[in-house]
Amino acid sequence: MELVEIRRDPLVIVEPRGRIDTVAAEPFGNRLTELIRSGSRHMLIDLQHVIYISSAGFRALLIAGKLAEESNAKLVLCGLSAEIKRLFEIGTFMDLFTICASREDGMVKAQ
Amino acid sequence: MKKPATLIYGLEEMPPPFITISNGIQHVGLIAINLVFPLLVFRAAGTPLDLIGGLLSSGLVVLGIGTFLQAYRLGPIGSGYMCPSTFTATYLAPSLLAAKIGGLPLVFGMTLFSGVLEAAIAPLLNRLRAIFPPEISGLVILLIGMSIGTSGLRLVLAPGAEPLSGAEWLVAGATLVTMVGLNVWGVGTLRMLCALIGLVIGYIAAGFAGLFGTTFVAVHDADWIGFPIPAHLAWAFDATMIAPFAIASVAAALKAAGTIALCQRMNDADWVRPEMGSTTRGVLADGAATAVAGLMGAVGTNTSTPGVGLAAAIGVGSRPVAYAVAVLFVLLAFFPKLTALLAIMPRAVMVSALLFTATFIIINGIQVISSRLLDARRSMIIGFSMVAGISVDIFPSLSAAAPKMFMPVVGSPLVFGTVIALGLNLLFRIGVRRTVNLTLDQPEGAHQRIDDFFVRQGAAWGARPDVIKRAIFGVTQLVDAVDENCRKEGPMTVTASFDEFNLDIRLAYQGALLEFPEQRPSADDIRAGLEGMRRLAGFMLRRNADRIASERAGDRVVVHFHFDH
Repeated sequence: MELVEIRRDPLVIVEPRGRIDTVAAEPFGNRLTELIRSGSRHMLIDLQHVIYISSAGFRALLIAGKLAEESNAKLVLCGLSAEIKRLFEIGTFMDLFTICASREDGMVKAQ
Repeated sequence: MKKPATLIYGLEEMPPPFITISNGIQHVGLIAINLVFPLLVFRAAGTPLDLIGGLLSSGLVVLGIGTFLQAYRLGPIGSGYMCPSTFTATYLAPSLLAAKIGGLPLVFGMTLFSGVLEAAIAPLLNRLRAIFPPEISGLVILLIGMSIGTSGLRLVLAPGAEPLSGAEWLVAGATLVTMVGLNVWGVGTLRMLCALIGLVIGYIAAGFAGLFGTTFVAVHDADWIGFPIPAHLAWAFDATMIAPFAIASVAAALKAAGTIALCQRMNDADWVRPEMGSTTRGVLADGAATAVAGLMGAVGTNTSTPGVGLAAAIGVGSRPVAYAVAVLFVLLAFFPKLTALLAIMPRAVMVSALLFTATFIIINGIQVISSRLLDARRSMIIGFSMVAGISVDIFPSLSAAAPKMFMPVVGSPLVFGTVIALGLNLLFRIGVRRTVNLTLDQPEGAHQRIDDFFVRQGAAWGARPDVIKRAIFGVTQLVDAVDENCRKEGPMTVTASFDEFNLDIRLAYQGALLEFPEQRPSADDIRAGLEGMRRLAGFMLRRNADRIASERAGDRVVVHFHFDH
């Protein structure tokens, strides 16, 4: 997995690319945690280039979500492909995250 | 059945009378354009103008009966859905051929045969998928679309056809521009009724251009009100016409099944896959309607997919609307002036209507073909069959040279293309292994190998892409979860078996059993550590497959995934 970060102050857009599997979930989760701890309060995770998320990937997102909540930070997801959306649905995660259909909507929501 | 939020009036609900009647009128308007199909067949058979009006009236009654049968659920007949009947392009090519060979009696006799055949295959529909897979159904739809387009052009461009006059070009242009313009740039009702409005504009333009000539006398002479009685009904049967009409029957049955699945999905927010009970009853009703068409002097009918699309767009899927549509069709049949007006449709208007209709059918065919993963074999089946079908139209001398008994097969692009596709499909089944194995011995690169394995096999089997995606996720997530949590030793073996209706995957490894809980662990449990994550993996795997089981076999654990296909 490759991780791209785009800064549009105060917004940080995180763009994981590829598979968020057991191996990739750890650095992905660590980076999200690091960003929130270092003061990022407006985060958008764009999943448009993600082709697979394992249970470990969902765990990383849940941990980041909780930390964001505790830190009064906004964490928004966007760009879910049909397959990734299906995985959120079978994991019954749709209600646990703020999910926007497009990047533009996500950027507004995360501000 | 849970009513979706997008539906204002569900299947069992009774909308106010105004909504019911205005919706009924819109449906009838949408379907009216398809009267061009029986009209084309009647003209091809050389039917006198004064008889065509009566036959079209009778056809309207058939549509009323078909719509009612589909909605009412009379014993084993009828899906119970608001799914109107329409004359269909599916029977156009065989009916034109029958009209040429044996006149209207052969058209009616073979239509009756087709209806009975469609009703007979209704209970076997699910099994037909193996020999008539979706990519071949798509090819049939594509060839039907192309045959409609060429039928239209043949009216004006065939050798011996009188060339279009300047006025006819203008009328054809006005008709087509109206239909296309309203469809592309129109909104709401204007867009939905673009074909009907185009037809009306075409008639008005033809009137101004004087294209009706003496034919308008037939409208003038027709009564305002009269009983829909088809004159000179007779039936004939010709064994050489079995193949083209049987292919059309199968195509109509598959199309009806698809439309009824659309009805199911439209009416049920929890819809997952087609429910075969109402599908079978619906196809039976569709066959019965075509049989009635044969008996009453009309051509084959089919469920109206645009009709269901219209119901979904408006948000009114109520059964009472279907009854309103049925009554309106029958009422219209009592106005001979109207059917006489339809009977004198100028060819300039007709060619535009046929070209417009053809475009949507062609695209629908392409979409159905691409609904499956296609490997080299399947690509060749589609490619060769399409070229074979087209060549019949381009090189008529080839089919003319064939023995007369083969004429119905080699003389029709639809039939010839389908027969070639079915033959190649059977031939190319040789060497496609239904059960395949993959051994995963290294964690590195395992995900890519799983992807490649299932995509390659899915294409060889012609499997649905969505099912293959679910299989890839299931195997990948299981490999991840087992590597992480089950103290796995040695390689994992994956065995996948496919038979068109089922995809079964067996995974075997040495290690601990993985649990597949029915409840998701809480978000806190998942965040807390490995145990929550392991149970989440099991929960997602359970929900990803249609069935899942695991057992210990000696020192190995075997996990079974089942996916309905």
